[in-house]
Amino acid sequence: MKKIIALAEHRQGELRDITWEVLSKGRQLAEGMGAEVEVALLGKGVKKLAEALKPKANRVLLVEDDRLEAFNSETYQKVLTQLITERKPSLTLIGHTAMGMDIAPALAVQLKMPLATDCIGVDVAGESFALTRQLYGGKVNAAVSFRKNGPYMITLRSGGFPVVEKEAFPGEIVSIPSPLTDEGLAKRFLQYVEAAVGEVDITQADVLVSVGRGIKEAENIPLVKELADMLGGALSCSRPVVDKKWLPKDRQVGTSGKTVKPKVYVAIGISGAFQHVAGMKGAGTVIAINKDPKAPIFSVANYGIVADLFKFVPVLKEKLKELKKS
Amino acid sequence: MNFELTGEQKDIQKAAREFAQGEFDKEKILEWEQNHTFPRELWKKACKLGFVGIHFPEEYGGQGYGITENALIVEELCRRDSGVGIALSLVDFSSEVVLRFGTHEQKKKYLIPVTKGEFISAGAYTEPDHGSDITAMATTAVKQGGAFVINGTKTFITNGSLADFFVVLCQTDPGVKPPYRGQCTILVEKGAKGLEATEIMPKMGIRMTSTVELSFNDVRVPLTHLLGEENKGFYQVLEFFDESRIEIAAQALGIAQGAFDRALDYAKQREQFGKKLADFQITQHKLADMATKIETARLLVYKAAWNYDQKRIDPKLTSMAKMFAGKTAVEVADEAIQIFGGYGYITEYEVERFYRDAKITEIYEGTKEIQKNTIASALIGKLN
Amino acid sequence: MNIIVCVKRVPETADADVVIDKSGKDIERSGLVFDLNEWDNYAIEEAIMLKEKMGGTVTVISMGGEDSNESLRKCMAMGADDAVRLTDPAFVGSDGFATAKALAEAVRKIPHDLVFAGVQAEDDGFGQVGVALAEILGIPHVSLVNSLEVQEKKMKVHRELEGGLEEVVEVDLPAVLTIQTGINQPRYVSIMGIRKVAKKEIKTFGVSDLNLKPEDVGLSGSYIQLEKIFLPPVGEGAQMLEGKPEDIASKVFDILKDKGGLT
Ligand SMILES: Cc1cc2nc3c(=O)[nH]c(=O)nc-3n(C[C@H](O)[C@H](O)[C@H](O)COP(=O)(O)OP(=O)(O)OC[C@H]3O[C@@H](n4cnc5c(N)ncnc54)[C@H](O)[C@@H]3O)c2cc1C
Ligand SMILES: Cc1cc2nc3c(=O)[nH]c(=O)nc-3n(C[C@H](O)[C@H](O)[C@H](O)COP(=O)(O)OP(=O)(O)OC[C@H]3O[C@@H](n4cnc5c(N)ncnc54)[C@H](O)[C@@H]3O)c2cc1C
Repeated sequence: MKKIIALAEHRQGELRDITWEVLSKGRQLAEGMGAEVEVALLGKGVKKLAEALKPKANRVLLVEDDRLEAFNSETYQKVLTQLITERKPSLTLIGHTAMGMDIAPALAVQLKMPLATDCIGVDVAGESFALTRQLYGGKVNAAVSFRKNGPYMITLRSGGFPVVEKEAFPGEIVSIPSPLTDEGLAKRFLQYVEAAVGEVDITQADVLVSVGRGIKEAENIPLVKELADMLGGALSCSRPVVDKKWLPKDRQVGTSGKTVKPKVYVAIGISGAFQHVAGMKGAGTVIAINKDPKAPIFSVANYGIVADLFKFVPVLKEKLKELKKS
Repeated sequence: MNFELTGEQKDIQKAAREFAQGEFDKEKILEWEQNHTFPRELWKKACKLGFVGIHFPEEYGGQGYGITENALIVEELCRRDSGVGIALSLVDFSSEVVLRFGTHEQKKKYLIPVTKGEFISAGAYTEPDHGSDITAMATTAVKQGGAFVINGTKTFITNGSLADFFVVLCQTDPGVKPPYRGQCTILVEKGAKGLEATEIMPKMGIRMTSTVELSFNDVRVPLTHLLGEENKGFYQVLEFFDESRIEIAAQALGIAQGAFDRALDYAKQREQFGKKLADFQITQHKLADMATKIETARLLVYKAAWNYDQKRIDPKLTSMAKMFAGKTAVEVADEAIQIFGGYGYITEYEVERFYRDAKITEIYEGTKEIQKNTIASALIGKLN
Repeated sequence: MNIIVCVKRVPETADADVVIDKSGKDIERSGLVFDLNEWDNYAIEEAIMLKEKMGGTVTVISMGGEDSNESLRKCMAMGADDAVRLTDPAFVGSDGFATAKALAEAVRKIPHDLVFAGVQAEDDGFGQVGVALAEILGIPHVSLVNSLEVQEKKMKVHRELEGGLEEVVEVDLPAVLTIQTGINQPRYVSIMGIRKVAKKEIKTFGVSDLNLKPEDVGLSGSYIQLEKIFLPPVGEGAQMLEGKPEDIASKVFDILKDKGGLT
């Protein structure tokens, strides 16, 4: 029977959300192809995680080894190469995450497998797949196809695919012996470093005013800071604002920053790249201010305002002052 | 014929653009403008990156490029911000007199620090009673005991309160006819005894530069501070203008482009009567006219610069470039304010400052009327 | 330390009005400003800083048409020593994998201890080239690097994970690192730099110089191909607030009040 293998992603003892997303999509595709869906779980002492995965796939392929305690693309690649070579799935699905970006391209090269990265849409198309990707930071979508015959590998954008609840699989856990030996590795995991804790915890704020590269210069930050203060909220930002050292890292919203769930999120001069959106889509209400009517942020916002922030924000502040008095 | 910049010139243009984009900070600029502050830190940074004195030879700290490359930098800086652009482009004002006429020692001593961001230079030609007409100077330099003793007053001297040295046009031989045959350019260092600078302010624009009245009261400088040949000062200054006017024209060009950029952006956003301003044919025509004038000015400025670098010095062309670019800057900035409407009149929206800054390009380094005189006399020649 | 940096010239689209061209497979490029890919700007800066500290050379490689020289020259003006451009009609249509193949063959020809690439390119966002390149070269890689420290024949590298968490790994050299934004503050190009570059030649390699067959690269050597591009349904979810700024501001006030945004 045809198979899809999805790769489970876990860190510090917990399965990451992307795993459920990849599995859910994997199952949907498997149904369309008349295939089975299997999930590969690599780690040390991860039986509990295997149990959690069991209802979501026809099979959990469990590879346990002390050497797999922390993710290392080198060990993962060795294990997955063998696993995929033996089990011959038609499709391998991996999340387009820090882990997926580190492993998928190398694995695909080694397996000589056609790879499409960071897909936001995958549909079965005969023996192949029809893919949707994004170009230019999400301003343009692209319909993409594979040029070669499968088996294929696809990495899925995290947060790009909903987790659809379906009837549980009876499931089974298949232990697969680890091919790893004590042979030295060219890359060695040393440790995790936690993010520094700052003075303001944006994850706890009810209201966030968030600013992006559209603010142009560090000196303009007070413009939005004052707005945040007026709303009794906190100031957060997109990544370039941190990269340019205009605000500290603990203010960054997004995949490599914080995930926030405020009641209201006001995005100002933020284009809405998926890495940013992933961190704020749990917000209750999103209001976006951007001068570009085609900015992707408008497809995640509840309310959109097409305006130059330097003109609109001062007007907004005046109005708020006036209305708060009355 | 070839109207393309070279790859190297494009790189220089881009480098200046990126520097201006990354470093010119609107909030700080508004503050500097209000307090008449010179952007000292930016000046140092610009020198470090080689933008100042790009047209000096390497041996004097420069980069060995020409006036064209200097013009490209000045244009980009003024495009991003008229005030900062002008202030930075004038930090080496009149250094070219030293470069063209000074001795090797003088060039080493004064030019290298200019490129390093250690010295600011100034040129003192204008006097209270001698502006457009510098054929006779009231400021005198008299040889006395192995020194020049200078007395007199110069006015409207850019960089006056910041400069480390001044190129001063003096009457050395008051008796000679015509008097311009008895003039010298002399280097005076800051802090010289008897030299006093009084800031002239407030002024309409270019507020990030200092403009002073300089008074010389028995200021003694060694005879070695003479630049070039004795009694050739007037001719030296005219030659200098052939070069410096191109730089002023580049300032004007950048200002025009910067005002246009802002107006275009605004016209595409602002809505009235349910339409974008850019949807009104009136606005479209304004923008078309503005862009055409700018492009014409650019052709003139680049051609004048290119000619200069080819050693085909053409005062007529230089004057055409300066006159037309200055006029374009004023007209385009004016129209930009009009497109902005009431907002254009407000400082925060920048175009009013571009307008105020633009105006000086029609006055200093020879008013537009003087440029016309130059053009006309080259065209007509001597009528007997 | 001899370092190779793979760079790409891309259009700046965040602030631009993006329009799809007649072919339906590309955007209208005229009128767009092009620059060095943002991630690559950090990568080249990191390489130059390492060179300044430890000696050695920095070589930049880009696959692209003549326009790419602009980005290569920029990198050299920042401080890279040499530049190589991979150019050949056969490269047209290359996906991330085919690009990595071509880059790998070029890298093999140049002595190196370290190879940098940006995490991803602003335009196609594959996030794939650097890691695939390492695998083709048969050397280790570390992706998403946001700080690094060279040690004896190896380096200690921080990888950026989700949620602000970082992973510290040690990797033997030579290796490929993909560089994340924010790792440094890229310098401005100086006129001194431009002057130095003017005397330099940009080498070009075509397919025949690279131990490749035309069918290995370009569309024929690619795993994926673009069928068409289209504008995503923008503003679908959002209710767009229109009118005078003052009126929009009042509406925002009402929304804030209603949704708990006024405390
Ligand atoms: C592995 C990885 C992890 C990442 N993690 C994160 C993350 O955690 N968080 C994150 O934010 N990004 C992250 N990124 C970066 C992400 O891809 C984008 O580059 C980034 O989010 C863009 O930020 P931005 O929207 O502020 O800037 P841009 O995309 O440059 O957008 C600026 C916006 O401002 C608008 N604008 C400009 N001027 C004005 C004005 N005057 N008025 C109104 N609007 C204006 C423009 O129209 C534009 O839409 C990550 C990238 C990678 C590869
Ligand atoms: C901010 C600022 C900075 C300056 N920086 C310097 C500097 O660094 N060094 C320096 O030496 N000078 C400097 N100047 C002086 C400047 O060069 C003079 O102001 C200019 O040359 C005009 O001289 P004037 O002001 O005496 O006007 P005038 O010569 O009195 O001219 C008045 C008007 O008469 C017109 N006019 C004069 N002669 C004729 C003619 N023959 N035909 C037709 N019209 C004529 C002029 O065009 C003008 O419209 C600066 C001036 C300003 C305002």
